Amino acid sequence: MALLKREEWQGFVRDVDWTYTYIDDEAVFPEWHCGTGKVPREAWATWEESYKVSYPEYVATQREKESSAYAVKAALQRSTAFENLDEGWKSATKMHFGGVALVEYAAVLGELKMARFGLNAAWRNMATFGQLDELRHAQITTFFGHEFVGRDAQYDWTQKTFHTNDWVPISLRNLFDNMMIAPNVVDMAIELPLTFETGFTNLQFVALAADALGAGDVNFANMISSIQTDEARHSQQGGPTLEILVEHDPVRAQWVIDKSFWGSARAFAALTGPAMDYYTPLEHRKQSYREFMEEWIIDQFIRTIEDYGLKKPWFWDEFMRGLDTWHHGLHMGLWYWRPTLWWRPKAGVSKDERAWLVEKYPNWEAVYGDKWDVLIDNVNVDNMEATLPETLPWLCSTCHLPSCNATQSRDGTWRVRNWQLRYDGRTYHFCTNACRQIFWKDRDNVNHETVIDRFLAGQIQPMDVGGILGYMGLTPDVMGDDPDYPAWTKEYLGRPVEGIATGGRS
Amino acid sequence: MTAELPVQDQAPQLVPLNAIFATDFVEILVPVTTAHTMREVAAAVAHHVEGRRVRALPYDKVVIVDGERLPAELTVAEAGLRPLDHVTVEYDMQEPT
Repeated sequence: MALLKREEWQGFVRDVDWTYTYIDDEAVFPEWHCGTGKVPREAWATWEESYKVSYPEYVATQREKESSAYAVKAALQRSTAFENLDEGWKSATKMHFGGVALVEYAAVLGELKMARFGLNAAWRNMATFGQLDELRHAQITTFFGHEFVGRDAQYDWTQKTFHTNDWVPISLRNLFDNMMIAPNVVDMAIELPLTFETGFTNLQFVALAADALGAGDVNFANMISSIQTDEARHSQQGGPTLEILVEHDPVRAQWVIDKSFWGSARAFAALTGPAMDYYTPLEHRKQSYREFMEEWIIDQFIRTIEDYGLKKPWFWDEFMRGLDTWHHGLHMGLWYWRPTLWWRPKAGVSKDERAWLVEKYPNWEAVYGDKWDVLIDNVNVDNMEATLPETLPWLCSTCHLPSCNATQSRDGTWRVRNWQLRYDGRTYHFCTNACRQIFWKDRDNVNHETVIDRFLAGQIQPMDVGGILGYMGLTPDVMGDDPDYPAWTKEYLGRPVEGIATGGRS
Repeated sequence: MTAELPVQDQAPQLVPLNAIFATDFVEILVPVTTAHTMREVAAAVAHHVEGRRVRALPYDKVVIVDGERLPAELTVAEAGLRPLDHVTVEYDMQEPT
């Protein structure tokens, strides 16, 4: 018998479904996992992905990608490329490996949930490929990062990060548990493939691969490109799901997009922002974080949601203002609390770098320059203890990132505002107005305890800096420190110094 | 029912505060007790910031809660501050020392 042509069988096999006669549909597709809500069950019959793939094609393509990625890795293993990488770029990769490897594994669980509870067979089929993709990403990211453990112990956090109670993975666990583990599959398809993958990571991975090449890290560029091509395929689960949800429940669609965009934007500000505007060597910077967000994320995101008849999120003005502040504040926080990191954060505030920052962010000196100057003066008089923390930064009850977002007052000064909420007998604090609003609307969903909550509940012992670092899993060989203090302080040596701390006291 | 002791006679209780010092870039955790005065609260908050990230100025410091400046000798208990309350500490620019 002759083989059928692809177009003769694929339409059938990608969408094999049937009507249950021995069991209720609700028993197979329970609402709490499937989340059809106001959408009639039969409406999901129209779900259709735009790019179709068969299993043999999938396997052939993936095999080729794997062979290629590992061949490049094997060839480079014997080279000295790693030794020549800039410390700032290495930090960006350590942050990436630790922050991403096991998130890819969480995404396996998310894809599996859609593969089981998706309300259309074609969707379940696409999610089955998606979970295979994510498993590959978890493996390749872990393997590529782990290779460097012998040369630098911080790369051990490629695997270790999400097994610790460090504040960075707690923040990411809170975000991704809400996006990949807890939601019903309708919400998940909009939060993960549509907002996070289509909206953020697909495009960021393209930019990251270019940055890696610029920094001379061919291996990393190769890995990221290999991953990105998978993302582009499985992320298309979001579009058809959103199309159906918008038709029947646009208010829910808008809310799910809004809150996941906000959560993604906060995480990007913490991780991508400092990497682009501070860790990347000046000569390799192609655009600022703000420019990247405007060109690659915002324009595309707005076009997408408007195509579906949705509006800009309610927090849009607050978000856009934050492009000039969030990641600068977070960078200063990461640097000041550097012993809590598994990478070496470059301060990145030499005179040339500050000139670049001011060119890209005209208010940078007014908001951050004075504080970096005090830190520089402390370094230059060898008062290092004043540059190290003795307490915790306050962590937002929604995004778990430090509350460090300055806004401008009517008189022109920049101050960090307090956003708080009394609820159920206690006071919660937030970094922004939108984090407060999301907490209020989502208060019955996943909300991990922040490190502040844990500290005050006595879970961290002893209740001092050593106890906190131990609780976070940091060991002296891994704790982050600035890789090159003179690089950003020596130009200021010899200037008059006053108003700095002396022996821990001012 | 046991009569509650007057505030000044009770054993000091820990009161962790959410605090921001002047133009600093981040809110921080600062533990104080119910017996601390606002002068001591201001010093406790400043300890983590002044001269470290915000240049020290020769002025007294004042604790502000909900927009209200609290007297320097008022205690945390008398001010009614509770755990997790937010305080701002500012330089009192009108009164150089």
